[in-house]
Amino acid sequence: MNTNRQMSGGERPADANMQNVAFVAETVPCIIGQPALEEKLRILADAAKYDVACTSSGVDRKGKEGFLGNARACGICHSFASDGRCISLLKILMTNHCVYDCKYCVNRVSNDVVRTTFTPDEICQLTVEFYKRNYIEGLFLSSGVLKNPAYTMERMCETLALLRGKYRFNGYIHVKTIPGAPDELLATAGYLADRISINLELPTAESLEKLAPNKSFQTILNPMGKVSSTIAAHRLAIGKDARMERSMSNRYLEKNIFQSARLAEKTGSVQLPAPVTGGELGRPFAPAGQSTQMIIGASGESDYNLIQTTQRLYQSYDLKRVFYSAYIPLNEDADLPSLGTAPPLLREHRLYQADWLLRFYGFEADELLSEEKPNFNELLDPKCDWALRHLELFPVELQTASYDLILRIPGIGPKSAGRIVKARRYGSLTYENLKKMGVVLKRAHYFVTCGGRMMYPIPIDEQYITRQLVGTNQRENWQIAHQNGARQMSLFDDFGVQLMS
Amino acid sequence: MTIFTCKSDLTSMMTCIYDAWASRKGHGNIKLLREPVFQQELFDEYIHVEGDEEKAEKVLRSVRAKISPTAYIDVLYAAHSCEEDALDTIYRFLVLGFAYGAKVSSMLSYPPVMRLMELKRNVGNEAHFMHEFTRFTSIDGKVYVSHIEPKNDVLALTAEHFQDRMPSEYFLIIDDRRRSVAVHPRNEEFYIRYLTAEEAQSLSETEQITDEYTVLWRTFFDTIGIKERANPVCQRNLFPIWRRKHVTEFM
Repeated sequence: MNTNRQMSGGERPADANMQNVAFVAETVPCIIGQPALEEKLRILADAAKYDVACTSSGVDRKGKEGFLGNARACGICHSFASDGRCISLLKILMTNHCVYDCKYCVNRVSNDVVRTTFTPDEICQLTVEFYKRNYIEGLFLSSGVLKNPAYTMERMCETLALLRGKYRFNGYIHVKTIPGAPDELLATAGYLADRISINLELPTAESLEKLAPNKSFQTILNPMGKVSSTIAAHRLAIGKDARMERSMSNRYLEKNIFQSARLAEKTGSVQLPAPVTGGELGRPFAPAGQSTQMIIGASGESDYNLIQTTQRLYQSYDLKRVFYSAYIPLNEDADLPSLGTAPPLLREHRLYQADWLLRFYGFEADELLSEEKPNFNELLDPKCDWALRHLELFPVELQTASYDLILRIPGIGPKSAGRIVKARRYGSLTYENLKKMGVVLKRAHYFVTCGGRMMYPIPIDEQYITRQLVGTNQRENWQIAHQNGARQMSLFDDFGVQLMS
Repeated sequence: MTIFTCKSDLTSMMTCIYDAWASRKGHGNIKLLREPVFQQELFDEYIHVEGDEEKAEKVLRSVRAKISPTAYIDVLYAAHSCEEDALDTIYRFLVLGFAYGAKVSSMLSYPPVMRLMELKRNVGNEAHFMHEFTRFTSIDGKVYVSHIEPKNDVLALTAEHFQDRMPSEYFLIIDDRRRSVAVHPRNEEFYIRYLTAEEAQSLSETEQITDEYTVLWRTFFDTIGIKERANPVCQRNLFPIWRRKHVTEFM
């Protein structure tokens, strides 16, 4: 068994080389249709699936005659995979060869897996043809480290330049940068792509050192800082604000994390050099900003650590998004959770909820958690949890309360809050027309009065409301935590019964 | 009660609003419906209204000028809705709109305003779904053809999106439910026409075409899901089964 796997592992690169030869000798379309491409796609999509970011948002760009593609700031999902995550971009690795040995990663050098590499033309053709059939919104290109970071990054830039140049692709591109790649290549990638990202992987330097011995905080934060100040400089040059656009609701908030933010001081003055290629296309530098992702549950960080790191990243590096990825055990290692450990999906969900509270609701990390209470409540979402600890502010009178305070009521989001503020200018509110406006009162009714009355006679008592809310949340929590725990038995799948035809 | 009925194109609907208004029977005594009317009521009077470009233009112009451009867009979206009460809602909204002016769009506690917003949102959402889930099949790499079956009439909104996206490709988007098609020639504006039964029949076969990229796409789709996180309920919530009818990866 083992030798078999090694053999196939040894054979693949030879295959790939032969393909390269064929590719040089013949015209481009001939490589398509060979079974090898399907196999490559299977391997390299499989290796890329653990990357979380698959968003295509953040940039509005019109189509151009003779070119293919446009971009929508809202982002467009094109399908939903069997795990319920959206498929927006063609998410692939350029290669799954890797010289690094990060313990959590399936492609680490010490793993015996089948390795392969896409040629730039293969990636371009796949992207363009998928795009024309409206399967995808663009390309998400990441890669293992082939030979060294500079070489890998150069190959990736070459691919992107080909896609933007020869293939005249005007759609969305998200590129992962390789830690340790030189600045010139980073700059080139930024001019070719819409969003650029570098994975922080772990929120503290210690755990990074332990689990990813070839990476360091410096090689990750340094490029992140340079990219963010280059983006800021380019935004200023075209007459925009230095900082990225944020959700509209933040404009009406008296305090939010983005106001008090300052770009990182250390790296603030260092910018990326002019690009080697790509600048002549006249493209803005990474118009959709940059993002990052962190692994949840592989090391011992608390939620407080994670959420503080997140806030710091938003403030000092002006990231558009921070993604979380519940760790799925793929490798056996003493430093990692054992194989078969269920991914901490509910924890990931809580972190995303908190992330939304930071970005859209004007909360700060310190309001949600503290040193004494470093983890989120499993039973309640962070906003309910916060509200229960601040019952002195409630109930809130919807007719008169400020937008900031309405937004802090559990169950009311920016849309509902906006509608309430808009509608109450032209008539008094009742529970009846709140419902008609689409304001969901399931959680909110414990915390509001409307025209001086609560919806039901409810004591403002922490114990009582907690019990009620936990009951409301129970089903949802269970579903998130046990996504594939139970299923309906089927005569056809489980017992092989066949339909008479 | 007097009930004004009309066909379901924009001109007829706007003319219907004009005539209903001009009939001076009182807003409370009339109702507007789109044809076909399946169940007539015994004591109601039914009046059919024929489309008239001039009257329709008058209505739309006064919505823009006397209410607001926002209201104009809302009305246009709502007019494409498949809901039975769409036309009547637009009428009720305009009654309020001509009384209150631009601020009517914010008066969400008035039922017609809220309902109009719902209709508009529903049409807008469905158009967005079409941007997401429309799938083209390539005929020899020259023409791209897709079939959609939206509940609301969002063909024009969909075609507009793809025209901007692929300005230099020939493509067709066929609405199987209404048997209409948006035709986009290379580097030109798209236009909409209706198909005859034979045309619809011959075009319906295009959906079966597979090439190497449909195979590759299915491979990609099957690979990209993480099996440790499998969550069919979430998948169905976000991508309902009835929307999968013309989608390559589920065929």
